[in-house]
Amino acid sequence: MTLSLILQAIFAGVTNGIVYALVGMGLSAIFKGSRVINAMQGEFAVIGAMTTVLLLTKSGWPYPAAIAGGALAGALVGAFIEVAFVRYMALKNASEDSFLLLTIGLALTLSASVLFFIGRDGHLLPPIGGEGVVLVLDAVIQLHALWLVAIGIGATLALRAFFHRTTVGLSMMAASIDADGAATTGINVGRMRTYTFVLGGLLGALGGILVTPLISVDYTLGLNLTLKGFAAAVLGGLTNPLGAAVGGVTLGLVESLAIIGISSSYKDVVAFSVLIVIMILMPNGILGRAGRRGG
Amino acid sequence: MSLSKIARFATALAGLTALAVGAQAQTPAAGEPIKIGAIVSATGAGAGLGIPERNGLLLAEKDINAKGGIKGRPIKMIIEDDASNPDTALSKANELIFGQKVVALLGPSLTASTVAVGGVTHANKVPQIAFTGIGPAVERERKCVAHVLPPQRLNAQALLEYAKSIRATKVGVLHDAGYGNVVMAELRPLADKYGVKLVAVEKFEIGATDTTTQAAKVKAAQPEAVFVIATSATPFRNVKQIQITQPVIAAIGSSSYEYVNAMGTAADNIAIPEFVVGEDPLPHQKAFVDLYKQAYNSTPKNYEAAAWDAAHIIASALNKAGADATNEKLCEAMKAPYSGVLANYDFSADDMTGIPIGSFVFSKLVGGKYTRTPFRVSQ
Repeated sequence: MTLSLILQAIFAGVTNGIVYALVGMGLSAIFKGSRVINAMQGEFAVIGAMTTVLLLTKSGWPYPAAIAGGALAGALVGAFIEVAFVRYMALKNASEDSFLLLTIGLALTLSASVLFFIGRDGHLLPPIGGEGVVLVLDAVIQLHALWLVAIGIGATLALRAFFHRTTVGLSMMAASIDADGAATTGINVGRMRTYTFVLGGLLGALGGILVTPLISVDYTLGLNLTLKGFAAAVLGGLTNPLGAAVGGVTLGLVESLAIIGISSSYKDVVAFSVLIVIMILMPNGILGRAGRRGG
Repeated sequence: MSLSKIARFATALAGLTALAVGAQAQTPAAGEPIKIGAIVSATGAGAGLGIPERNGLLLAEKDINAKGGIKGRPIKMIIEDDASNPDTALSKANELIFGQKVVALLGPSLTASTVAVGGVTHANKVPQIAFTGIGPAVERERKCVAHVLPPQRLNAQALLEYAKSIRATKVGVLHDAGYGNVVMAELRPLADKYGVKLVAVEKFEIGATDTTTQAAKVKAAQPEAVFVIATSATPFRNVKQIQITQPVIAAIGSSSYEYVNAMGTAADNIAIPEFVVGEDPLPHQKAFVDLYKQAYNSTPKNYEAAAWDAAHIIASALNKAGADATNEKLCEAMKAPYSGVLANYDFSADDMTGIPIGSFVFSKLVGGKYTRTPFRVSQ
């Protein structure tokens, strides 16, 4: 095992981990704000990436505008799902499993719609920062991957600041911790729940857009991302979006180091065994109870 | 004399006249159609195979009927979708065989469905031509189930032949946990015979979104060539991303336009042992390719050709045994050599396929387009 191989594995792990983290943070933001386990979080990534691809290739928008359009599409779909389905079901006191079933249904519907309207083909986006690479001790790092990591970290920090510093963020936290209490202080709890879906959609779409220059997006990508994002979110502590960031990077690193350390055949066995051990030792997630404040 | 008998008599006469005038004057078939059942995966995970296969079947149906059908009687292709699910395939097979009373069954697209359906066709001796390579051991006992795609051992052999041709003796492999695993099981014992050392064998799960670390491990083993055995574009992109510069050889599973388009610039210079290069077909494939392009306005590849061949193979068996032949007779009639578009089959062979390694052509992707290389394996 050479140093460059280890470096390559670490970098692949961090890159994948940030993508898992973005999906996981969205999932956890939605869970925190609405107690809905969003099984269609990965579909937000597909919506964001596909919209960007269509705006860029079919409508000829400049790349930055297409990215903004893709992220906005994710946010809008998030808002739509809250307003059209979740709000109504919440009024009827729907249980957590009903919400889970709703989002599973939506995930299948969205995936099928992408297949029907856009087709089976995978689509790529141009890498941010060009096709260039950086060589570190023979390990190849794409410029785009560096951008992905930077933007991912930026989004995580921005999310933290949003929840801690802004009135809307604090209100969202209040509404999620004690809905009745928040309502008595004049916070519109329903609207805050819409915002959490907007935020979830935005983060998911961002993850999808960032990963599409590395792997092509097609209608099947959503489920894979949901599963990894969910593992990331649980690992970090489901009610804490920042925990999902830590969880995502941990998951990515464990996966890729398992490949070089043991064998690619046992990658998932090793990765998920490690996750089980973490969950036994730290049942509240890596950030634990301390993280609850942080979210 | 009933109406249908008159019609049959008339078409038989027409057939005779056509024969007398020569092959140029072909009379379209008429009369009571002969039902042929087909099961493809038009939806679900196998749709990338099933949709091209359906196109191939429909084109073959038109072609066979335009050329006079089976002794003047037209064929009617009844195509069902198994949604890539073996259970669905089984119930569709039962409906086709016992409900529709089809004389033969073509398909399905996936190995699991083929094994499931084979249980019914084998028990009832209904001729079946599967769009898969022979799979689990149980299929070797099913002597009425022919296969129009090569067994995985042959796919493995084709990869090794190409490696030999470029004098690569140290080979790294990147394969998925499904299709890749099956080919890999055949590749390991064969590699020794070819004097090829597998210096790194790395696996990734089906649908993996990233295989960079596995690719890096293959690169670190310093192979002279890399085999990628998968049904997705991801490993190919990763191989190029970490700058593996050695020749990359892809198994036939990733030979479709769908995957190649998703590879983007990473597709360049990948070599693929396959059968039909629509951009530059072999002389005996040209008529099919032209007809396909005319009908669908796109270029056919292996699965379109496999389905086309399957339909023509059953038509030829029907012509030999007669449309009213028993299942057993039709089955026996099928067990013969057949020169198809995809390959030169021999269904009397033990594997009910009989494709020789010489039927492979080797293509290379240049600028996202397939080009046929001059390399062929001599018999």
